Amino acid sequence: MSAAVTLWSKHMRKLRVHPEEAIGLLIQPILWVALFGLGMKGLLGQSIEGGGNAYITFMVPGIVALTALSGAISGGLIWLNERVLGIAKEYLAAPIPRSSILIGNASSIVTKALFQSIIVLVVGVLIGAQGSLNPAGWVAGTAIVALFALGFAGIALTFATKTNDPGSYHMVIFLINLPLLFLANALYPLEALPRWMEVVARANPTTYVVDGMRQTFLDSSVAGAGYDLVPLWVCFLVVTAFAAFGMGIAYITFRRSLK
Amino acid sequence: MDNESRVNVAIGAEGLVKRYGEDVLALDGVDLYIEANTVYALLGPNGAGKTTTISILTTLIQPTAGSALVAGFDVIREAGEVRQRIGVTFQEMVLDVELTGRQVLDYHGRLYGQGKKERRAKAAELLSLIEMEDAADRRVSTYSGGMKRRLELARGLMTEPEVLFLDEPTLGLDPQNRASIWEYIYRLKKERGLTLLLTTHYMDEAERLADRVGIIDHGRMVAEGTPREFIDQMGADTIRIAGRGDSAGLVQSLREQSYVETVTEGEGVIQVGIDSGNRRLAEVVTLATRGGYSIEDISVAKPSLGDVFLKYTGRQLRDR
Repeated sequence: MSAAVTLWSKHMRKLRVHPEEAIGLLIQPILWVALFGLGMKGLLGQSIEGGGNAYITFMVPGIVALTALSGAISGGLIWLNERVLGIAKEYLAAPIPRSSILIGNASSIVTKALFQSIIVLVVGVLIGAQGSLNPAGWVAGTAIVALFALGFAGIALTFATKTNDPGSYHMVIFLINLPLLFLANALYPLEALPRWMEVVARANPTTYVVDGMRQTFLDSSVAGAGYDLVPLWVCFLVVTAFAAFGMGIAYITFRRSLK
Repeated sequence: MDNESRVNVAIGAEGLVKRYGEDVLALDGVDLYIEANTVYALLGPNGAGKTTTISILTTLIQPTAGSALVAGFDVIREAGEVRQRIGVTFQEMVLDVELTGRQVLDYHGRLYGQGKKERRAKAAELLSLIEMEDAADRRVSTYSGGMKRRLELARGLMTEPEVLFLDEPTLGLDPQNRASIWEYIYRLKKERGLTLLLTTHYMDEAERLADRVGIIDHGRMVAEGTPREFIDQMGADTIRIAGRGDSAGLVQSLREQSYVETVTEGEGVIQVGIDSGNRRLAEVVTLATRGGYSIEDISVAKPSLGDVFLKYTGRQLRDR
């Protein structure tokens, strides 16, 4: 496993030297929070329980989730590039367990996604989201976002193992990004959705990480905006299963590619 | 192979076959026996199967059929043991360009489980060997092609491998850099107990560095021997003739001459191995003219592996 740590630390060093891409990814989520959030705060301020800050608190987890999943998927590009450039050959010829290559990559992706997510969360709190005062909540919140990111890291690594073209990879990011956000309870409660959307949203892991954050990072009495939240234990369960699924297909695809 | 020589075999491959899908047969039954502490050059044109062979021997890919032992371990079933004992440099430059030279060596040592002190000492030693101490703390992206290849060589040596694989080690380098890489390899050969398998399509490289040479073409081993053995087979000198006319007839009449050791024809070039070029040149020219063959180009040279290649495969080995 120390090989996984070596890989992780190499990626972290490169991130410190070249943080531009990671930071560039933050522009969109910060715009959502700062501009869309402020606008909606004004619009809905009067019409929902808790006032304008309630909406900000309600929607920030969704943007954090968007950040985490975008960060995780684009993180897969590192592996794709290392494969295409041949750097991966160094790992394959080295006496390290094959799984540590996967774990090293997944952990650097999740670390990067977590950094990005925390930054967006902080911006959200600055704009008016009501955070939780319970440190246990912050730990739990970090855990659930990390698991969510891990699931997408697995999916990202699966694609990155199968394709050789960074261009088509970027296309994938564009396409699934926003649908995952909209087909969830991130911007509006489940109750407000037409039946078909509600069904899709309940199958979307984003819904669970969002309600999970509403009950951990944030003050749940405000974050729910008066609507029912999915119980926290269910959120953890679904997100954990999603992480296992993502890493599972990544592992299978990776092993197959070694033949 | 008796027991004694089996112990000395650093690389032993039998019947290696690699097939991709239905159509592509990269290797068609390759056998290789390389003694420990020798330098072996695998010579062949692009697409011959050199890189595939190295990929199998370094456990990067698995053969479709056949087996191989490297440093005494099976490349398929004991891949981990093989990886511990080998170093590889690849044809494409696979360095992480955002790191410094020293960091590249350090991360490599970490991957192989070397402790911090050992890594630092080894990196210093190797950077001194390749004369890159000054550039060591600059990013690899600032290095020239020659410097990158030297760093690759150092990286391959970082973990003191028993067997070192070099895939086209001087590809794309200018003559000066090629000479300096050869110098390092030559020094390695003299100073360390190291088995070296290098692949190349450069004639002069194989001739200069190798104890033994294997010629590979279209996925099969075509011939094998020491550079000296090959060249001796060709006669003391080689006359190369290019021209137009009844080449078959000329080849025939040349073969009838007592001073001619061997005649080969391929791709419009007739190659004549003889006992002494200068003396016989006039006679060969006369034969050609008499036979109605018009000579456009004629030269005399000591035979090279390129001539050997032409003899065994009927084709010329072109430099890129």
